[in-house]
Amino acid sequence: MTLLEVNDLSIRYAVEDADVHAVDNANFTVDSGETYGLVGESGCGKTTLAKSILHLLDSNGYIESGEMWFDGTLPQWEDGNGNPRKEIIDDDRYPVRADGMTNLAELSDSQIRDIRWREVALIPQSAMNALNPVYKVGDQIVEAILRHEPQTTKREADERARDLLERVGIDPERADDYAHEFSGGMKQRAVIAMAMACNPSLLIADEPTTALDVIIQDRILEELEQIQEEFGVSILVISHDISVMAEICDRMAVMYGGKIMERGTRDDIFRETANPYTLGLKNSFPTITQKQQQLVSIPGSPPHLRDPDPGCRFRKRCPFAVEDCERSHPPMYDVASVEETGRLQEAMDDRRHGSACYRTDELDEIRTKAMKEETWKETATQSH
Amino acid sequence: MTRISGKYLAKRLVVSYLTLLLIMTLLFALIRSAPGTFIDSMISPEMTRAQVERIREVWGLNEPLWKQYLNFMINYQTGEFGRSPTWRVPVWDLILRRMPRTLILFGASYIIAYLVGPLVGMYLGWWRGTQKDKTIFGTSLMVYSMPAFWLAWLFIWFFDYEMGWLPSAYMMTQFPEFEWTAFTVMTDVLTHIALPLISLSCIGWVGAMLIMRPSMNNVVDEGYVFLARAKGLDERTVMIKHAARNALIPVATGAIVGLAFLIDGAVITEAVFTWPGMGQILVEAVLNNDYPVTQAAFFMLAVLVVGMRLITDIAYTYLDPRIKFGEEN
Repeated sequence: MTLLEVNDLSIRYAVEDADVHAVDNANFTVDSGETYGLVGESGCGKTTLAKSILHLLDSNGYIESGEMWFDGTLPQWEDGNGNPRKEIIDDDRYPVRADGMTNLAELSDSQIRDIRWREVALIPQSAMNALNPVYKVGDQIVEAILRHEPQTTKREADERARDLLERVGIDPERADDYAHEFSGGMKQRAVIAMAMACNPSLLIADEPTTALDVIIQDRILEELEQIQEEFGVSILVISHDISVMAEICDRMAVMYGGKIMERGTRDDIFRETANPYTLGLKNSFPTITQKQQQLVSIPGSPPHLRDPDPGCRFRKRCPFAVEDCERSHPPMYDVASVEETGRLQEAMDDRRHGSACYRTDELDEIRTKAMKEETWKETATQSH
Repeated sequence: MTRISGKYLAKRLVVSYLTLLLIMTLLFALIRSAPGTFIDSMISPEMTRAQVERIREVWGLNEPLWKQYLNFMINYQTGEFGRSPTWRVPVWDLILRRMPRTLILFGASYIIAYLVGPLVGMYLGWWRGTQKDKTIFGTSLMVYSMPAFWLAWLFIWFFDYEMGWLPSAYMMTQFPEFEWTAFTVMTDVLTHIALPLISLSCIGWVGAMLIMRPSMNNVVDEGYVFLARAKGLDERTVMIKHAARNALIPVATGAIVGLAFLIDGAVITEAVFTWPGMGQILVEAVLNNDYPVTQAAFFMLAVLVVGMRLITDIAYTYLDPRIKFGEEN
């Protein structure tokens, strides 16, 4: 069942005289109970995309266009079962459509606050600094509970907070401690516990492992999986680390320069890799499972996205770029049907394996060449 | 959970006490090194040598200096401040009468400054870079750079001389014609305190704001402010409970420094408004070489600052749980 359906989402940042196209026409769907990954280099728009779901962009950022249909709605629009009431669905003034999904993009500031944490919890990139140093950790969880469930007593909320801490492996007694008395891994787990305080249906984890050492990283990933099993929550995980993604994601989207370059299941992305950018990204990360000769990085750096030209965002670093790539950014092609028919066919369903590349019909050749180190070196000399 | 141990508190008290002893010694040395003594004003050319000697004897100036110092130190620690040769009353009485007046005026302006300053600083830091921020910040900087006494003169000229709305001198009407009731006295004092209080407050709050604004600016991008917002809290709660609460920590330090500056201003402001407080007798006492009063006045100010420091240190541990005093690791 669909939990979040993002349609043609574009996000801009207004800077002095231009617009930064942080996210451009993004389409993807997150199902209930699954882990969906957004992967890409820094500055590719993945954090922006995640923040925009809850309208948490910086003040100069705005949603230019697009929809974010979410299965969950405001408390005041709900009937007894947590679904939107019929008169709300029928009334055109409310951004709720017939199947009960609510368009988060159209909610006002005060409305989205009721969605935050209650329906969608976000663990920020700097989760280590996300705990307020002057309040007890337990009280900060209690604050979230009381915000969304005002009928709960303080004592109940406090008990729940301790219970949540225990579930992520923190001694409930530590609820009375301050953040500086926690280790890095504990802080991260405390924020995860806090995220589950209101039993949200979607948990966004922005770089959940980045600042942690490898052993703690592994534990946090386990923690997330366990939480998902226990609460049945969907997780939207954001990382630049493709190996983290390989470990926990059911499906994922690879982003580059504000565009989704490739999306599909984990196997689609890792075994049937169809996009030159994903191939390059894979080359630059070590894997434990496969024998790999050497790490090869993609030469160059991501584009600036300030009023970008219409061509493919990746073409300047792409060893496979052709003339077509200059003209416009490629649409998402359905990889399976391209391979079947040999003709480029645009993807109609964003759950199917898709790749934004004009040469999707020459996949075999691209895959073979991408394995070779020289291929990536050549681009470097070409572009200079 | 106690964040401050008894042992630490005891240590701090001892240090504060030693600080006061040191200040007293300095005070003694400084005052004795000034030219002349207070009996100069009691001596006239017609007096005989014996008479002068007698006066010296009575005021204890014939004792050797080390004995005078010892007496001074012992007397002060037993609460004995001596008699004022200028005002002819026990110094303690003089202080008891004068100190509350100073505290009323400067306590009130201190409270106003540290209520308004952090509050304005909080909003400016939150709205950083906006037109509102720039306008208010620019204006307050302009006010801040005006000399306090000059601003006071402006107020006196306008409110008293031109408009006649508010009195500009003394604490009360000097020869009152109104009936002496609690209400009339209160109103009378309030109208008299208005001008000095306004001119002190006009400038005083800016100092606190200048600390709060950048401090607030530093915390608005903190992870916990973002998280507070992500939790669905409204902007007001995020600003006050999560951002400002953290930004206040450096302001507490500024408050101690601010206190010293306020006392500094007492001398001038009391002179401008003929406010019958400590600042006024301090000036007179220094001019008259009145050792007992000068020593006592400076001593009281020192007690105030040292005492406030102690209180602020304790308050700090409650303001910032990361600070623990006296805990051994």
